[in-house]
Amino acid sequence: MGDSKISPHSLAELKNTTDDALGNYLRGLKFEQDNTKLDVRLAIGYASVVIAAATFAADYKLGWEATKTWTAVAVVAYALLNGAFTYWMWAVEKGCVFDGVREGKKISVASKTKKHDPTYYLTVSSADSGSKQITAPFTTWFTADGYFVAKPFQQWLASSVEAIGNADSKNALRDERDEIASPSPEVELTPQGNGTAEASGTDGKAKGSKRSKRKG
Amino acid sequence: MFSALGNLQPRQLAAQILNFALVLSTAFMLWKGLSVFTNSSSPIVVVLSGSMEPAFQRGDLLFLWNRGKETQVGEIVVYNVRGKDIPIVHRVIRRFGGGSAPLQLLTKGDNNAADDTELYARGQSYLDRSKDVIGSVVGYVPFVGYVTILLSEYPWLKTAMLGFMALTVVLQRE
Repeated sequence: MGDSKISPHSLAELKNTTDDALGNYLRGLKFEQDNTKLDVRLAIGYASVVIAAATFAADYKLGWEATKTWTAVAVVAYALLNGAFTYWMWAVEKGCVFDGVREGKKISVASKTKKHDPTYYLTVSSADSGSKQITAPFTTWFTADGYFVAKPFQQWLASSVEAIGNADSKNALRDERDEIASPSPEVELTPQGNGTAEASGTDGKAKGSKRSKRKG
Repeated sequence: MFSALGNLQPRQLAAQILNFALVLSTAFMLWKGLSVFTNSSSPIVVVLSGSMEPAFQRGDLLFLWNRGKETQVGEIVVYNVRGKDIPIVHRVIRRFGGGSAPLQLLTKGDNNAADDTELYARGQSYLDRSKDVIGSVVGYVPFVGYVTILLSEYPWLKTAMLGFMALTVVLQRE
């Protein structure tokens, strides 16, 4: 896992690699993974593929005239299953990459990216602290030539998510954690306060340049 | 690339294979859905010969409709010759029966000198509307079907295209 190289220009690869690493990391922290959502999707998906395959086989062996009625039934069933599949991915999974339990506490993590924006958007919901979104640029844990570096990624997660920080106190940097995971997440929006610049390297730089432009 | 696939969790691998299978099965079921809707075994066909010029050229894509079987003289139908599986697009020039009696049709290519009795199977001098005809032409798109003609006339193109598609599938995850 550690030595695989990806194209740093492909947003899909950045996201997929990060998603995979996130699962591995949380499993490593003894989060008990709950795969129900993915299992339901797989069940719906494979059921529809089986229907299509059966239709294909029947059509190949018996021809159109003999299979007409059943083909119509299969088409309707396939359309319904496909609708359910899309609904499940869009309304239930919502980009979920990890559902799990640790010490009786549930955590659910969903990730997404936006076009032409190399930022990882993570929505973390847990039983006690509700749902919140954290973001970080992929450059935080990818080198320029496309290697994934686990340390900064784990530090970012442990520092910004309470539940993960509790499980991995080694990586949870206290200062940052208090800032990022503080009760009021508007910290990033307030223009003043040197604390924000420290929160994450690249973010701070971007803000710094904006501020200097405003002054100049 | 395959090493990347090897790194996946079994469930993720299953999801990855599913994505690929869904592309194929959805394409197939859309085709079948169109078949059911038009009541035709092959709702879209490509014109292979010039026998219907100037109405249709080689490579035109035709859309068929097979509901409402009271086909009239002047309609263009697609039929399969018994025993051969080549669809032929020709115009109806005579009809027999219809209503409660079984409808029989005689067809001819606009660009041909004679009617189709020569083309039909041995001993057959009329088409049976309900058995032989796949559908009536209700719409067409000129020329786009030429790709399939090229593919069947130059088989190496097929190999090249399949190879290219396989490559893109393997190289992309998403």
